[in-house]
Amino acid sequence: MTRALFNRDTAISVGFFLLLGLAWEYGVRWSGVQAYLLPPPSAILAELWRSRGPILAQSLVTMTEVFWGFIIAVVLGVPIAALIYFSRTAKRTVYPLFVALQSIPKIGLAPLIVVWFGYGLTSKLIMAFLFAFFPIIISTLGGLASTPAHLEEHFRALRATPLQTFWRLRLPAALPSFLDGCKVAMPLAVIGAVVGEFVGSKDGLGNLILTASGSGHTTLTFAALFAVTVLSLLLFYGVAYWERFIWWRAA
Amino acid sequence: MSAEISITGVGKAFDGRKVLEGVTADIHAAEFVSVLGPSGCGKSTLLRLIAGLIPFEEGAILVNGEVVTAPSAAMGFVFQTSNLLPWLNVRDNLLLGINLDAGAQRLDEAALAELVETLGLTGFEASYPHQLSGGMRHRVAIGQALARNPQILLMDEPFGALDALTRDRLNMELLRLWQRDRKTVVLVTHSISEAVLLSDRVLVMSERPGTIIEDVRIDLPRPRDPSVTREDPAFGDYVVRLSKLMGVA
Ligand SMILES: Nc1ncnc2c1ncn2[C@@H]1O[C@H](COP(=O)(O)OP(=O)(O)OP(=O)(O)O)[C@@H](O)[C@H]1O
Ligand SMILES: [Mg+2]
Repeated sequence: MTRALFNRDTAISVGFFLLLGLAWEYGVRWSGVQAYLLPPPSAILAELWRSRGPILAQSLVTMTEVFWGFIIAVVLGVPIAALIYFSRTAKRTVYPLFVALQSIPKIGLAPLIVVWFGYGLTSKLIMAFLFAFFPIIISTLGGLASTPAHLEEHFRALRATPLQTFWRLRLPAALPSFLDGCKVAMPLAVIGAVVGEFVGSKDGLGNLILTASGSGHTTLTFAALFAVTVLSLLLFYGVAYWERFIWWRAA
Repeated sequence: MSAEISITGVGKAFDGRKVLEGVTADIHAAEFVSVLGPSGCGKSTLLRLIAGLIPFEEGAILVNGEVVTAPSAAMGFVFQTSNLLPWLNVRDNLLLGINLDAGAQRLDEAALAELVETLGLTGFEASYPHQLSGGMRHRVAIGQALARNPQILLMDEPFGALDALTRDRLNMELLRLWQRDRKTVVLVTHSISEAVLLSDRVLVMSERPGTIIEDVRIDLPRPRDPSVTREDPAFGDYVVRLSKLMGVA
């Protein structure tokens, strides 16, 4: 792992982003764009350092919302997907219901949810949940359906019970697809939480972005945006980490 | 002697296309029977019917005097494509059948080690299927069926993907096991010489819709050994006769 940090691919990535940063920095300086419109990266980095206290605190708030919203999406999404997969009735009732719900623009729901659940954690958690829920259901469904037919037949020949077939075959076979769904759902959950914070909140990174830009503090806005991106990346790789437990997928 | 597996007038169609027609055969206890036939003639299908994996329209199949309706613990199946679970290591794949069946007899460590040894998989107990060669995967699949110690072993081209050398070695092992445990074996194969080498009887099937066109008894002395038995002039005669039936010669 330590060696991988210094390999050619990493060097190319780092070089690319350094170049991008430099272009931004000098582009802003030479073109004379005002800092309140587009601050140079050096100013944003300085702002990140100066406001590290509040930014960290607000990041923690947003992360908590995203984390619980995502967990609830998984805890509810997987059994619901299993229900849709196994029950013809659920496939004709629950499934179209969720597809219809998914088609409602969730941003439009945000004000309602704030009205219903207040300015605190709950409404943001629900927003994160709403954004993450659908990809998790769809990917779990796809995973369950992708169980190879010859393995199902094999389990029948071994006289496995339906429950055994579920736990020992369908569920593990669904894991790769499920994890892909989680990787899509996690950044969406971050967007959901930030949208919730935009619409009505006392704190969180979305709130920070809103107040900073409202008071013309563009550099802090960028710093907060940067923090959202880093948070999203961290959470994404936190999910991707679990891929090592489905090592067989590559084979 | 009453037949252990009794197949009478069996017919099967997929989507209106006849695959098997009027298949009749008796297979006795402890008999080693091979099924030869052109690709697509319904050999795998016939084996699935015997195993109770798919329903059929015509005729009847009795195993131990009872109509087959569902898979039974008396039969072990080795499929044409190896069916290992990628997330289980060799050991757990071997034990899968036993672990899924609460009533199955457990395999103690010594017996497991012996099975692994027989399969030539010693040292690979903790490896996962993607770390094995194709032939090794086939051996694990065969071991999985053997581990449950079924009375009847149904094998669908279990050595199909193996090189001649490994095939000979596994044939020997199979012969040794069969001579020791006296299981009933139904083996589907494409190899005429393999069928002659191993079997008491060879059933030859026609093109689709498959039916049994010849039931050849192989009267070669046992115990057999690939290197010795192949030298027997009678062996060559059987191979020639079966090749003619198959339209290869
Ligand atoms: N599940 C299925 N649905 C529809 N058709 C099938 C199905 N299984 C087999 N068939 C058809 O039945 C015929 C016989 O198939 P089967 O697999 O039994 O052949 P086989 O003799 O084992 O051939 P091979 O030697 O190539 O393995 C083929 O024409 C195949 O297309
Ligand atoms: Mg076949």
